[in-house]
Amino acid sequence: MESNRYENQICVRFCVLHRLLHIGVMITFTLLAVTGFALKFSTETWAQGLISFMGGVPGAGWLHRVSAAMFYLIVMAHLVWLGYYKLVLKGHLTGPHSLFPQIKDFQDLCQNFRYIFGKGEPPLFNRFSYLEKVDYWAVLLGMQSMGITGLLMGYPEFFSTLFPGYVINIANDLHFHEAVLAVGYIAVVHMSATHLIPEVFPLEKSIFTGKTTKAKIMKDHPGEWNSLYADEK
Amino acid sequence: MQFGGGPGFRACQTASVAFRSDKHFVESSTNFKLVEPHTHQAKDFSGFQTRARSGFAVSGCHCPPFRNACKNRASRSWLDAYGVEPPYKCKSLQLIPRKTDSMKKITYVLIPTLCVLAVSLLAFLSMRDEVPVSAPAEALETPAPVVTQERVCLDCHRYPNVNTNEGVLTSQAQCYECHLEKKRSLRKMDKRTLSLQVTPDTFDKNPHQYVACIQCHTDVARSPHKTVAGAQCRSCHGVHGEGTAHDPHLRVACQACHRKSEFVRLDPEDHQIKLAHTDDKGQAVALTDHALPDDVQEEKACQKCHNTGNKVGAPVAVLPSKSFLCIICHNAPLAMGHFIFWIALLVFIFGMFVMLRFWFQGSVQGEEESMHRKIVLSSEAVWETLFSRKILHILKVFFFDILLQRRILKESVGRWSMHSLIYVAILFRFLLSFFGFLHFSLNPESSWALALLDKNHGFTAFIYDLLGLFILAGIAWVMIQRFILKPVHVKTEIEDNVTVALVAILILLGFGLEGMRIEITNIPPDMAAYSFVGYPIAYLLSLSQWDWAGLYAYVWYAHALAAATFVAYLPYGKLRHVFNVPLTYFLEEIAGEKRR
Repeated sequence: MESNRYENQICVRFCVLHRLLHIGVMITFTLLAVTGFALKFSTETWAQGLISFMGGVPGAGWLHRVSAAMFYLIVMAHLVWLGYYKLVLKGHLTGPHSLFPQIKDFQDLCQNFRYIFGKGEPPLFNRFSYLEKVDYWAVLLGMQSMGITGLLMGYPEFFSTLFPGYVINIANDLHFHEAVLAVGYIAVVHMSATHLIPEVFPLEKSIFTGKTTKAKIMKDHPGEWNSLYADEK
Repeated sequence: MQFGGGPGFRACQTASVAFRSDKHFVESSTNFKLVEPHTHQAKDFSGFQTRARSGFAVSGCHCPPFRNACKNRASRSWLDAYGVEPPYKCKSLQLIPRKTDSMKKITYVLIPTLCVLAVSLLAFLSMRDEVPVSAPAEALETPAPVVTQERVCLDCHRYPNVNTNEGVLTSQAQCYECHLEKKRSLRKMDKRTLSLQVTPDTFDKNPHQYVACIQCHTDVARSPHKTVAGAQCRSCHGVHGEGTAHDPHLRVACQACHRKSEFVRLDPEDHQIKLAHTDDKGQAVALTDHALPDDVQEEKACQKCHNTGNKVGAPVAVLPSKSFLCIICHNAPLAMGHFIFWIALLVFIFGMFVMLRFWFQGSVQGEEESMHRKIVLSSEAVWETLFSRKILHILKVFFFDILLQRRILKESVGRWSMHSLIYVAILFRFLLSFFGFLHFSLNPESSWALALLDKNHGFTAFIYDLLGLFILAGIAWVMIQRFILKPVHVKTEIEDNVTVALVAILILLGFGLEGMRIEITNIPPDMAAYSFVGYPIAYLLSLSQWDWAGLYAYVWYAHALAAATFVAYLPYGKLRHVFNVPLTYFLEEIAGEKRR
């Protein structure tokens, strides 16, 4: 078997910065969700218990805002990294091995559905599959709108001098609904697509250790394998 | 049924009240009345009682404050709102028994309706049985209790639901009954007559327009009708953090800053700074202006107290808040404060970068050239250490060699004692301050957070003084070692002298400031005695007739400047050991593990 040869060959998939940022996002996102929903459903008993644990409504609110600020700092750190990657490391922000959406992603999606229904071969994913790209862009873009609506609600006195008052109410609604969407997406799509896979269940460790095996790349990201390690064959 | 009000009834055009069942009339106890605004003549609708708990619907009201109530067609205290005195009245009010209307119109559902009504009546009656509303038999047997407490008026009289707009306005209207007219709101205080008149013209301009009077004036709705505690701002609002007002001005009543009246006094009883009831000339001041000043965040507003020759014990200058950098030793806000702290922070960050660059000048795992590769390799190594069993060794080193300073103790007990006096005291002050900051951020009203924030609190005053004294003792020991004893193995460089001098100045100025603060603010001895270093200093200062209130600002800035210098100097001079030594210990431990 060819894959056996690569079973023990370890290669780095995520650098230390990305591992750190992922852990940061994990913690702050969970805190945001817990404090946010506890505040939204403050009439429920479970929420009241949580809120009193966090030092009352002002405490939960403070924790929510501080976590939001930390989350946004992480997003900024990532953007700084992108600049460094492009300018200093001369990397490519677009192209087949980037997270930038490609036509191939749509083709992969169709191909994957054909494969699931037994009508063809599995798609040859590049470095990031379309689901991983959706994971990434959902966070990166979702945070912008969460941040904007959150700021609108956080400083209503200032923003209501710029916009009519109902904008604050709209922001409130959007913030809540997008929170439901984000938490639902992470809890259902991200968790199942990443961790609910027989080979890695219960936890896909590569984002924490940063390492993966060549055999795994060959299986999950054959497109990347073909272009990067083709000469090793 | 329709009851027409006189032409003088204003605000509300028409309202219909439909009662589902006559039962509700019997239940209630208060008569419904409408009052003509100018003559105060009440139109009494005895017999149509209004305290129906439920089961009526409201429609057709166009009175702006009650629009919400009308939209909410089952609002319960709506009728309370309409039974009120000026300024909110109804022009007319309709009471339409809905049951008769529906019987006329929909005769063919008469029987089912009756059935439903009967069932609901039964259910209602059975529910009534379950709720012990009163126990008349017992009440007859027990003699009437002797009233020893103050009677709360609203226990017997109507208690509007002040969580709704209509209840708030009802409540306000009750107060307006007297306070609206100057004649009826004259009060005698210390033989001076003053008017406690409050009119909607002035009151409605303040942000608490839709808050019931009794929500803030919690102790007035009782007999005798008199306020002792004053308006309770803190039943809704939290205290400020250090960022807004220095040491959140815990000894200053909210109103002293947040009201327009410019006369303040120091209450000798509770040692709080409050608004004065008399002005400079001894004339009575009625504090009835509920409007808030716009400029409370400007320095001008602070000069109400912070002026030359003030009698409330405020330093003359208005000082900026502490910076987050001060958290090393003090409770601090999440703000940078004065610009010198920004400079200090930038210098500090620059120094850290220089230090990091210096660390990465050598080769990392054979890599000589690329800084990027060096960082990648070293961060990977750190990551692997953190998430492996090696972390236990690191924790061991951290606990024994860094927290407890075991290696220094092995060298010399004297040196360990000297170093620990300084370092443990600073560490404890930092931990206490950080805990206080975190606790205050999460729960500003908790007694712990307020105690840690309050410099005059017994625990805080004592522990910070004690720790400060430890640092000073350690510094004194260092100075004796280096300048008087001069043992052979101790080599003194200019770097060492600068560091020691900086910390010494910082601590001495801090104690000086504490003494000045106690002296200026005239804190009573039983409270100040906990500051066992600051209070004697205050006593010494009080012997001289210097203008300490004026000098305070200069000493404060000197202390702040010394602190900023301390932070900025961290990565440059001798203090670099705070970062270098633990790192060296960790690296040694990892290298030693590998060799083993």
